[in-house]
Amino acid sequence: NATELRLSHQWSNGDVRHKVAQMVADDVAAADVDLDIKIFPSQSLLKAREQYKPLSRGLLDMTVLPLSYAGGQQPAYNLTLMPGLVKNHDHAARLNESPFMDAIEEIMAEDDVIVLVHGYLAGGFAGKEKCITNPDDMPGLQTRAAGKAFEQMLAGAGASIASMSSSEIYNAMQSGVLDAANTSSSSFVSYRIYEQVSCYTPAGEYALWFMYQPLLMNKSTFDGLTEDQQKALLAASEKAQAFYLEEAKKEDAASAEVFRDNDVEIAAMTEADFEAWRALAKETSYKAFVEETPNGQQLLDLALSVN
Amino acid sequence: MDPLFLGLLVAVTTILVLFSGVSVAIGLLIVSAGFLLAFDGSRSLELMPEIFFGKLDNFALLSIPMFIIMGASIASTRAGADLYEALERWLTRIPGGLVVSNLGACALFAAMSGSSPATCAAIGKMGIPEMRKRGYPDGVAAGSIAAGGTLGILIPPSVTMIVYGIATETSIGRLFLAGVIPGLMLMGLFMTWSLYSTWRSGNASVLSAGSYSWKQRFEILPRVLPFLAIILGVLYAMYGGVATPSETAAVGALLCLLIAMIIYKLWSPGALWVVLRDSTKESVMILFIIAAAGVFSYMLSSLFITQAIAEWIGTLDVNRWVLMAAINGFLLIAGFFLPPVAVILMAAPILLPIIIAADFDPVWFAVVLTINMEIGLISPPVGLNLYVINGIAPDISLKTILTGSLPFVGCMVLAIFLLCLFPDLATWLPDTVMGAPR
Amino acid sequence: MAGHSTVAVAYAGNNPFLRGVAAISTVAGWCSAAMIVIAVAITCQMIFVRFVLNASTVWQTEAVIYLVIAATLVGLPYVQRLRGHVNVDLFPLSLGKRSRYFLACLTLSTSSLIVAVMLYYGFEYWHIAWARGWTSDTVWGVRLWIPYLSIPVGFGLLLLQLVADLFAVLAGLEKPFGLEDS
Ligand code: NA
Ligand code: NA
Repeated sequence: NATELRLSHQWSNGDVRHKVAQMVADDVAAADVDLDIKIFPSQSLLKAREQYKPLSRGLLDMTVLPLSYAGGQQPAYNLTLMPGLVKNHDHAARLNESPFMDAIEEIMAEDDVIVLVHGYLAGGFAGKEKCITNPDDMPGLQTRAAGKAFEQMLAGAGASIASMSSSEIYNAMQSGVLDAANTSSSSFVSYRIYEQVSCYTPAGEYALWFMYQPLLMNKSTFDGLTEDQQKALLAASEKAQAFYLEEAKKEDAASAEVFRDNDVEIAAMTEADFEAWRALAKETSYKAFVEETPNGQQLLDLALSVN
Repeated sequence: MDPLFLGLLVAVTTILVLFSGVSVAIGLLIVSAGFLLAFDGSRSLELMPEIFFGKLDNFALLSIPMFIIMGASIASTRAGADLYEALERWLTRIPGGLVVSNLGACALFAAMSGSSPATCAAIGKMGIPEMRKRGYPDGVAAGSIAAGGTLGILIPPSVTMIVYGIATETSIGRLFLAGVIPGLMLMGLFMTWSLYSTWRSGNASVLSAGSYSWKQRFEILPRVLPFLAIILGVLYAMYGGVATPSETAAVGALLCLLIAMIIYKLWSPGALWVVLRDSTKESVMILFIIAAAGVFSYMLSSLFITQAIAEWIGTLDVNRWVLMAAINGFLLIAGFFLPPVAVILMAAPILLPIIIAADFDPVWFAVVLTINMEIGLISPPVGLNLYVINGIAPDISLKTILTGSLPFVGCMVLAIFLLCLFPDLATWLPDTVMGAPR
Repeated sequence: MAGHSTVAVAYAGNNPFLRGVAAISTVAGWCSAAMIVIAVAITCQMIFVRFVLNASTVWQTEAVIYLVIAATLVGLPYVQRLRGHVNVDLFPLSLGKRSRYFLACLTLSTSSLIVAVMLYYGFEYWHIAWARGWTSDTVWGVRLWIPYLSIPVGFGLLLLQLVADLFAVLAGLEKPFGLEDS
């Protein structure tokens, strides 16, 4: 009788994050170690933001999750969606192997959670009337931002923040409730935002928005597996992590391609723009993070020290 | 155990539990807990309150109490009577002006209320006695209002459309628009039948109703204009870029309360409390079912029943229209016994993948589903509208109400056929206003 | 045939226990209605801030969601008292007097049991949120034990009303399922 693990996530079957989960499930099945991973995609078991709490209590075995969703349980996780902290995908890969990530994993261990697959995905900005590259573009725009730290920074730039889920962006833009939005490259494409905007600023040479979205597992459940099962799981995860990084790199360019094909202007951030955003973030989101997080400054310094 | 067999077991158990007289929401919790305990281990019960809370953690749900308040505050005044009186004074040349006006008033009221029993009560309170006084047959008087009231969930706003939109992640604005033309079409069918059956009853003389002077026609307009303004205002807010459907609902609720207070002098705290109490009662009842059905669908998904049924239907090689007929038959039976919200919540997660796989438009299906649910509202054994009519006119026997309503069921079946033949009836308006579907 | 009557209310009579529970449920109903009204007001304020002032709306959406959830949970006992939770009484109607009485006792005690389960685990969930200092992951960062409190409170009061209903049937003060003998 095979051990069954349940993996819940919020994405559709075509999404890279589902593919990562599927790869792990397939490889573990192929390893023939009496381990069966059942995937519940598209929030068919639990809602996106209702997954971390059951995971940490052993009521759910695995999930692929933007870790910042659990920022209310562990404020340190907010550092995994912080403006200007990650420069590009190779930098993200180095962060995954750094003392910074060790510190984050220690905090996860307090909640009985371990990481199987590390991974960052990037995102950009889209504007209904104009391009968004610099903080000076923001004043007066009704904006949807992805994540608390981005809301704080964009509000600091003078934007008005309207919070909603990424699936609501399309309608809000169409009806005129929103002027600008910030979300991941894949969401921009899958929600067909290119039909509603005139300009898109994808993650390029300089990118502001990187979100850490690992494949997580309950630690006690992992420890309860046999040695063979653990080995198979870790081997499958290592392979999936390499795939995840390659796919993440492809997504940004692919999203820009889709927007260009739909006659949307493509803008790029310059180094000066990036530095302006980062200076603003230091005054807004970094500051708020340090204030509300135990050891916040130390964790921030650890993250900033990764080259 | 095979998930399909388990699904059958769940279905039979659910029916037995729900028929036992336990409230629907608590019944769903009982069935969910029982199956989770038996097939998923005892720890799965720990998650139930979390999932219950999580299902309600959705901004779109706000619109349910709001649209109910909108309807309830208007229903507490004599606005319903004003509506059909105004229509009658203006439609005086049309034969059967009174029943036509009552059905028109139902449609107008439906545009301000998200619920069917509320629509029924608002128009029926004055409309049924008036029709009977003027000699319309009891069956026509009761049946036309029972049926007209069902327009409450087809013509936007609609609580069931909101629930469907949330359960299937379909745009609520698009769903609302999709109900407009089918709602007007259904109203037309109801009118046609009412006139025909009155004429056939040999009482044709009632059809030529009284005549009104221009003074009478104009003096009633100020009483109706505020409501037309609300309807237009809500439409503008929703499609003109001011607010999302749930936000619009709150503004609509506030405006309707204010109009009831200012124009209809609904000042006394007692009268206001009745409006609030009835709205709270209906909203809490619906939201409780929504949350409990969330736990129920967690159980179905966790035991892999949802997925197994979708897979199984996928392997069946049947014509898509045979599939659609089977789905409608299933929904019709469920709708006989259960309130629309419960049917939609339990069926949507299972049906939606099947609908999409068979290449039907989920927005179009929402309209078909809603009309199907309307049938349940005026059919035994659990027809909410029938009991509302029974409450308004206790001296009309339930049997007369029932036989009077039955032909209107025929109109609804006809409407479903028309929608199958001409899907554009539902999809044209949303596609035109909001662009091609995504 | 349907149990969706608009007039019936739980019997209280002169029984002090039933009257006490009825009073508690009624106060809960007032709170529930008040929370819905406040939600309407906040939503209107939010539209004004965003559409007229073109300013940020940080806390309104979340506040409204939690108010509606709390209104639902706290409103449960009141709606139970008003017999507003829709049900299907197909079996009770087809049964004789005696079996109907036993079925009423069975459904009411099973209902009480499941509500007690929700109360127990709901309290546990609330306690975790409180002990670990969970907040929502937004700029507003609500301490989650506040909205979660509505789970144990709502189910606790509903349990009380259900027990009162069961007592009323057992003591012969109320007809099973509120149905007249036929
Ligand atoms: Na309506
Ligand atoms: Na029915």
